[in-house]
Amino acid sequence: MIAGELIVEAEAQKLHAKGEKLSVLMVEDSVADTELIRSELEHGGFDLSSEVVQTAEEFARQVHSNSFHVVLADFNLPQWNGMEALELLRREGLDIPLILVSGALPDITAVDCIKQGAADYVLKDRLARLPSAIRSALQEKQLREERKRAEHELAQKVEELARSNRELEHFAYVASHDLQEPLRMVATYTQLLAERYRGKLDAQAEKYIHYAVDGAKRMQTLIQDLLAFSRVGRQDTTFAPVDCNLILHQALESLQLAIRESGAVLTYARLPEVMANSSQLLQVFSNLLANAIKFRGSDKPNIHISAERQAGEFAFSVRDNGIGIASENAQDVFVIFRRLHTRTEYPGNGIGLAICRKIVEQHGGKIWVTSREGRGSTFTFTLPVTEPVPAAQEKFKQEYVQA
Amino acid sequence: MFKPEILLVDDNPADLDLTSEVLARNERPKRVSSVMNGVEALGFLRHEGKYADTPDPDLILLDLNLPRKDGRAVLAEVKADPLLRRTPIVVFSTSQAEFDIMQSYNLGANSYVTKPGDLPEFVQAVESIENFWFGCARLPRKEEQ
Repeated sequence: MIAGELIVEAEAQKLHAKGEKLSVLMVEDSVADTELIRSELEHGGFDLSSEVVQTAEEFARQVHSNSFHVVLADFNLPQWNGMEALELLRREGLDIPLILVSGALPDITAVDCIKQGAADYVLKDRLARLPSAIRSALQEKQLREERKRAEHELAQKVEELARSNRELEHFAYVASHDLQEPLRMVATYTQLLAERYRGKLDAQAEKYIHYAVDGAKRMQTLIQDLLAFSRVGRQDTTFAPVDCNLILHQALESLQLAIRESGAVLTYARLPEVMANSSQLLQVFSNLLANAIKFRGSDKPNIHISAERQAGEFAFSVRDNGIGIASENAQDVFVIFRRLHTRTEYPGNGIGLAICRKIVEQHGGKIWVTSREGRGSTFTFTLPVTEPVPAAQEKFKQEYVQA
Repeated sequence: MFKPEILLVDDNPADLDLTSEVLARNERPKRVSSVMNGVEALGFLRHEGKYADTPDPDLILLDLNLPRKDGRAVLAEVKADPLLRRTPIVVFSTSQAEFDIMQSYNLGANSYVTKPGDLPEFVQAVESIENFWFGCARLPRKEEQ
């Protein structure tokens, strides 16, 4: 195969050199015409080798035993015609440009021939045009081949991608089942052990059991979160118009307990409608709000959610009065598993913001944080504006009523 | 008094032990049998070979990933069998995959419960299953053998 490619390449180079080598198969019954064509081509700068056939059988034999650069076919032959030659080439899957070289034909036939795949149509009394017709036919063939190669490569890439997606899918399944099962054994049986021997173990033993159970449970959540992270962008995500006010309410609903326990005060402006995947958007809001509550300082959390239209996008902000982030760490927080605090200070495993970033980017937006250590943070993410432009952007403040 | 027959189908002995232990905790009298692969499960249900004298279960707790014949195949066969199909099957699996849940219901599972990874939650899940099927739901009448 490689050797074959080399030959093709060498031939292409020869073609481009001076006195281009050209191997022609002529479908022609007039000796005088073949001579005329030959001399025209040599005059046109080709180093010519040619075969002449008159019947369909000869034609078929020739195209199989020799490799021709081009076929020049007369339209009107006693037994058959140039269009049948075209049909035969197509049937055999041979990409050899065929140029009709014929006497006058009605225009409609000429157009028809080209439609059916002839590279060109040259009248016998305009043979001077033949060399340039051949050159452009060869060029087109080269482009065709390049395109085919590119399409083939693309198809291969798509197939590779599909395969790697399938593998990832399988990996996710293994993670959700095969990894969880042994972990479940560790956690539940350690708990069962603790239950059975309650009161018979000393404090030290109780502590060890606690460590073991805690480790197994952390691993369980870690796998869950990793799965959630890998699912973003892998599962079919459908985008639809989403009212961000509803999403915000759902997020606040799910955080009721944390809001109540921390005494957080939440205020928010009216939010727009965007094109998004609602469950993913809910996750972004939930994660950002949960962080704003979690990473609080000594004051009660004061959190404000707003949206602003900037050119072609909406910028959503979640501003808090929490512990803030040192500027040198502002980028790090979006990296998976990157944590700035120990687990005893603030629980978590460093996936939440990585998921946020993945979701926002998949929606065609960006996410960043502006913050000063000890002075609160503002997380901002953008989503493209969808037309028609959502109704009035009136802003009003509203105290989030705590249940 | 009605004494429910429960069949556990699970290849993991630790899960069989745990589930049996939890089922034994409350006072409801019951009989719990267990098999460890899909072929055995169908043999049990059809009273084949050594299972000639086994009772018809009132409830089956079925794990999905089983050796020899997996839980999905067992589910499909039972639900396609006119003599067995009315027996409630609760799929009880570690898997939380959407695909497994959908497929199980499509095959006719009566419910799908993911095995919790925490002992108190596990106990609660098994107790809920038992209380629902034997304390709340009406079961199909069993034909005399």
